[in-house]
Amino acid sequence: MTADALVRTGQPVLVETFAEWREAARELLVHGIPPDQVTWGAPHMGDLLAGGDLFTGAPAAAGAPHNPSIPPTEPLHPAPHIPRSLMEMLQSAACCRVPDRWAFLYRVIWRWQQGEHDVQSPADEDGARLHAMVKAVHREEHDMHAYIRFRERPEEAGPPRFVAWYEPRHDVLPQVAEHFISRMGKVSWMIATPEASVLWDGQTLHNTGPLVRDAADLEDTGEALWLTYYRSVFNPARLNTNVMHQHIQSDRWKNLPEAKIVPHMVSEAALGARKVGQYEAVGQRKGTTIPIAPEDAQPERQQPSKLDECRRCELWQFATQAVGGEGPRRAKIMFVGEQPGDQEDLAGQPFVGPAGKLLDRVCEAAGVDRDTIYVTNAVKHFKWEPRGKRRLHKTPVQREIEACHYWLDKELASVKPTVIVALGATALKSVLRTANVTLKNSLGKPLRHEGHWVVTTYHPSYVLRVPGEEAKREAFNTMVEGLKLAHELLERPVDVPDA
Amino acid sequence: MELKDKLEILADAAKYDASCASSGAPRRDSVDKDGLGATNGMGICHSYTPDGRCVSLLKILLTNFCVYDCQYCVNRRTSNVPRARFSVDEVVKLTRDFYLRNYIDGLFLSSGIIQSSDYTMEQLVEVARRLREEHQFRGYIHLKTIPDADPRLIELAGRYADRLSVNIELPTQDSVTKLAPEKNVHTIKLAMGSIRTKLDEKDDHPKAPTFAPAGQSTQMIVGADASDDQTILNTAQTLYGSYKLKRVYYSAFSPIPQSPSSVPSAPPPLLREHRLYQADFLLRGYGFTAKELMPQAGNLALDIDPKLGWALANRDHFPLDLNRADESMIARVPGIGLRTAKRLIDLRRLRRIRWEDLSRLRCSLKKLAPFVITADYRPAQGAASTDLLRRNLADAPQQMNLWPELQAA
Ligand code: SF4
Repeated sequence: MTADALVRTGQPVLVETFAEWREAARELLVHGIPPDQVTWGAPHMGDLLAGGDLFTGAPAAAGAPHNPSIPPTEPLHPAPHIPRSLMEMLQSAACCRVPDRWAFLYRVIWRWQQGEHDVQSPADEDGARLHAMVKAVHREEHDMHAYIRFRERPEEAGPPRFVAWYEPRHDVLPQVAEHFISRMGKVSWMIATPEASVLWDGQTLHNTGPLVRDAADLEDTGEALWLTYYRSVFNPARLNTNVMHQHIQSDRWKNLPEAKIVPHMVSEAALGARKVGQYEAVGQRKGTTIPIAPEDAQPERQQPSKLDECRRCELWQFATQAVGGEGPRRAKIMFVGEQPGDQEDLAGQPFVGPAGKLLDRVCEAAGVDRDTIYVTNAVKHFKWEPRGKRRLHKTPVQREIEACHYWLDKELASVKPTVIVALGATALKSVLRTANVTLKNSLGKPLRHEGHWVVTTYHPSYVLRVPGEEAKREAFNTMVEGLKLAHELLERPVDVPDA
Repeated sequence: MELKDKLEILADAAKYDASCASSGAPRRDSVDKDGLGATNGMGICHSYTPDGRCVSLLKILLTNFCVYDCQYCVNRRTSNVPRARFSVDEVVKLTRDFYLRNYIDGLFLSSGIIQSSDYTMEQLVEVARRLREEHQFRGYIHLKTIPDADPRLIELAGRYADRLSVNIELPTQDSVTKLAPEKNVHTIKLAMGSIRTKLDEKDDHPKAPTFAPAGQSTQMIVGADASDDQTILNTAQTLYGSYKLKRVYYSAFSPIPQSPSSVPSAPPPLLREHRLYQADFLLRGYGFTAKELMPQAGNLALDIDPKLGWALANRDHFPLDLNRADESMIARVPGIGLRTAKRLIDLRRLRRIRWEDLSRLRCSLKKLAPFVITADYRPAQGAASTDLLRRNLADAPQQMNLWPELQAA
């Protein structure tokens, strides 16, 4: 009889699985039958729970035990207008062992169908209960994933090689079995519970009916190692049993082998082992120091450069490393940028990030061989501020530029370039040693400064950043012109007095 | 020495490392495959010890022989502790045996420095290689990276491990120089930087070989030197931003047998560590900056959590109208978390938020009452002074919940 017909003749609708409920609920919804007119019940299950054969792994005989907690695998057809998120919640909640589960689920779906969509929100009364049921089921799945303990059976005994006993609070065995199938691969195992059991023979899952606890009581010598581990990772100096109990509810402990040794560990810790973190058994062993001289213990590392040890300003603290200049010792042109960026900070080389790539293109367009150029920055450590989990470039202030000028001076003195190309305002301020210059007024106008030509152009990041294709192209061209100019200046004498 | 004895010593020696997460690995399974293991990205805690910490991985040292002399470390060369060394095979076998019994989700392997950084790192990598290649182990592997090791070894480690970590150990360079003479912040940062570079490469070229898919993490010891929480959080923020760390773990210094006089003989309050975890979570999850949480030098308050501390120091943002404010501001209200903020936004699309909704969403009503406005509620005008509020809202003295933060990612 259909669910609709049952209700009309005043009989309860008997369902056992979510799939059956779903069929019935759809039927009832289609006929517009409100929740208060339906009585839901479960078929009498007593006869269905005949036990399977525990260890032979024989599949349950044909037509025999249907396991109530394992829904048939046939595909489920979606009920009308129910969003998937709600359907998933209903399916989970259906595993929750409360007597009125089917009636409650029907009420939820009925209300949704009536347009009361806040029934899915935990701020609604039914919604809150639904969320609570889902949460209880998920928690049970989680606990079972976490606290099942397999014991190993001897190789000769055949499959299953590993056996576990568990007492789930909700009907989650099918989902949990999937978890262990994916975890154990072709190793055979069995999980026994008071209501139902499953056996995985390495290829197929069999339902083997309910079992009693003793069936899973095996000797496993591997357990002793686990207890040793459990004892030794515990730090008695931090004894905090409340937290331990908060995480594992009390009725879960009884099937955990480590539960037996907890009281002893706690009292031992309280009795004195508490002062130091070491586990007593380790503390009692004979110890040894390692006879090796401090000099010999020092790892061999490349000496950090003097630049790396610079503490002239605060920037070093937040950076990975100082990034010095790079290029031919006697280069005729020196590029001075602002400061290393995120990538340069990691790589320890100037202009390796996106700005560096752009600089390459500019050089190419200007017909200048980049390998003949010495490239450096006004400030040698990356200055940044946090933006979410990223580092956002931050412009150095005059104080930092001045502090770091010490290093630029050294580079200028040793490379002695004829032309300095200042890339952007920071570089310009650094090269001319004054805060009173603007990029705009200096663009394209070469100056003489302390025996060098100084050409000012944009910083490649500006080209990358400026919005609009037109503006980008213009900025790019300005840089190319700047470089060409620098190249021409190589031929002109600089030892005339500064302008 | 028997396996059990070694396990006793080398697990005991590894427990000072606070990291325990087994999350963030890509999904893997062993359905129809030889070998063993699965990860679903979430990680599972398989037990808890009486110190409240979870057991999720087999956390051991390969050996606790060590030529370094880090003053806070129980395995320093001058420490008089029993020493042991696992063979590569022993670690592999232990990992598999524990995994099959569902005790653990995988392996966390660290080591004292023996012979040289490269030699030590090679050994760690060999364990991971054998698990992955010879035993097709698909569980979680976390390798501790030796900072001075050859970057090629670090690259290899990242091939096999889900997570790599390099411990920064202490928040300032000076403290490292003083307490860990053989270590060096510079090389530690460089190692983290080279891991990040590899992670970036993998992000940019999805076809590149896998590299530490669960990212990198680090640990800072709290209370072994005089650094305050402001310094610690600034360092954490620098590390998060620079090296894309998944987590910074804070480990309150644990007194060790025969502590050298260079480190304190008593541990810092565990509550301090707890507050640091809370503040750290605000950095990672809520978009707070270290400066907002700790505008001044000093330590985080112990009587109130850092979010409440921030709200009390910034009362001009409150009371906040929950029917208007944007999600990120709602999440900054004490007593309302990220998830609730999202749920409120969802609910707001259907109707206006009322006081009762907050109670159904299980918010801490007492905590949020002075800070919010709903359709039917607004806090009394000229509400209580900040001092009074603070006294009312301070945490009742209780055993605190120390470790739940460690489970998340
Ligand atoms: S930015 Fe320059 S001055 Fe400041 S610490 Fe770094 S190298 Fe020294």
